[in-house]
Amino acid sequence: MAVIEVKNLRKYYKVHQKEPGLSGSIRSLFHRKYYDVKAVDNVSFEIGEGELIGFIGPNGAGKTTTLKVLSGLLYPTSGHVSVLGFTPWDRKPAFQKQFSLVMGQKNQLWWDLPAIESFILNKEIYEVPDNKYKKTLDELVELLDVADILKVQVRKLSLGQRMKMELIAALIHSPKILFLDEPTIGLDVVMQKKMRDFIKEYNHRYRATIILTSHYMDDVKELCDRVVIIDKGKLIFDGLLDEIIKKYADHKLITVIFSKNNVTRADVEKLGELKEFESPKAVISVKRASAPKVAAKILEEFPVADINLEEPQIEDIIREVFTGKDFA
Amino acid sequence: MRKYLTVFAIDWQNQFIYRLNFILWRLRNVLRVLMTYFLWTSIFSSQTSVFGYTREQMVAYLLLALFVNSLVASAPSNDNVGGEVSNGTLNNFLVKPIGYLRYWFTRDLSSKLLNIIFAIGEIALLYLLFRPSLYVSPSIMSILLLISAVIIYFLLGKLAISIVFWAPEQTWGLMFIVLVLMEMLTGLIFPLDLLPRWAFSALQFTPFPYLIYFPLISAIGRPVAFRFLLQSLFWVAILYYLVKKVWAKGLKTYSASGI
Repeated sequence: MAVIEVKNLRKYYKVHQKEPGLSGSIRSLFHRKYYDVKAVDNVSFEIGEGELIGFIGPNGAGKTTTLKVLSGLLYPTSGHVSVLGFTPWDRKPAFQKQFSLVMGQKNQLWWDLPAIESFILNKEIYEVPDNKYKKTLDELVELLDVADILKVQVRKLSLGQRMKMELIAALIHSPKILFLDEPTIGLDVVMQKKMRDFIKEYNHRYRATIILTSHYMDDVKELCDRVVIIDKGKLIFDGLLDEIIKKYADHKLITVIFSKNNVTRADVEKLGELKEFESPKAVISVKRASAPKVAAKILEEFPVADINLEEPQIEDIIREVFTGKDFA
Repeated sequence: MRKYLTVFAIDWQNQFIYRLNFILWRLRNVLRVLMTYFLWTSIFSSQTSVFGYTREQMVAYLLLALFVNSLVASAPSNDNVGGEVSNGTLNNFLVKPIGYLRYWFTRDLSSKLLNIIFAIGEIALLYLLFRPSLYVSPSIMSILLLISAVIIYFLLGKLAISIVFWAPEQTWGLMFIVLVLMEMLTGLIFPLDLLPRWAFSALQFTPFPYLIYFPLISAIGRPVAFRFLLQSLFWVAILYYLVKKVWAKGLKTYSASGI
């Protein structure tokens, strides 16, 4: 059953354009030119209960705008959106009590007080009963291992510790749906890993539906089976992560290290598309079907120290998708 | 409403973080009283009565103005709401089952409580210094006028701030005008009946004298006609309606653009 339904969602912003310089500023006081920015342009998808979805796309692709529409912060220009059967921008308390939005760059904790005070406030705002609050808090504190810093002023916490506290504050009412916008932004690799482990565990343990946006492919690779790729407001892929590779990667990469330095660029160029050549190492991109043949040929004709046949990196594929290589 | 009680409790704790800031703010209030006090003392040095006020009455008025001002004008919401709307902090509230303006009104109340406690101490100190004949006779009328004043002040500020929805980051200019008007026209610096009769009559049709002047003279036992209470409540009603309408419209704009 779909808990989130989005049909033909469009969100256009009117942005006013200012000519450069002082005279432009004065002119724009009287006469403003507006143009539409299509932040989200005819996007449709459905998400079932308990799914953990990755939203990926470059800056300004429309990921955050979509999350804001889903959480009721923005009205769409057109289209149908239903989350848990509610229309998000009606902002009904019954709906608000069932989801949470965490933005990596925005915080809700009271800066000058220990985080526990913000948790207590959220408990009251969401009307969580005492015993349930205690149970949830204990579990979250244990999962994130923050028992010793609950009573430390938020301003004295490190970014990673603060992010953990932000998560607890966002989860204290046990939301069924969680929107995570760049939850690992600015964190070091160790902390990123911990965050990922937590998100995964939370998803499993509570069967929470989670949409995650991230710039870090590692987040998505490790957490999400299904990804939605958005670019320039348009949905360009919705499916399993593995399918991206099958769909877009029509080639494989052969990395060869030659045992002698006498192999020239021209020799290797005949084999396929040369990605990198720095004697004695060469990386060649070849059609998926002909890869074994080319590899055999290399072994036969050249002095080879090492050879490696691999799928292209998912980052590379996605970068190619974004930089406008036509996959239609 | 337990959630707002919790907001009150947390804000109360939060206020103790910036102690120095708070003490300086209180100092500013006391300095203003001292300044006006010396001004009036020099005026009274040549005459015993000005516009029907004796020196003692005037000092009593100014001291109590300090108290009423602490109650009415302590409103951190005026300093924060504009910024929170501009920088998107408002989003934190829009996704939660809590009313943003109610939340800020609660925080204002917490600030008022702390300010009143300090104002009482300061007035006691100034009283010992100047020994004015302080005559206070709070009545139901004066309490109602005070409550009404607190609400008018809150609503007036939120109405001025609502411009932020259409011109983000540009609330300060308008807020400044409102604040200056308030200082001059509310009766904080001098009793408004010192003004020419026509000016005083005209002022009664603005919300300003209902903020300090009327609650104050009522509290020092001067008769205030019942119609002024009605007019004060009328301002509460009209501002409440306006704030509700304008904020609903503003939030709609906000949700259209995300600012």
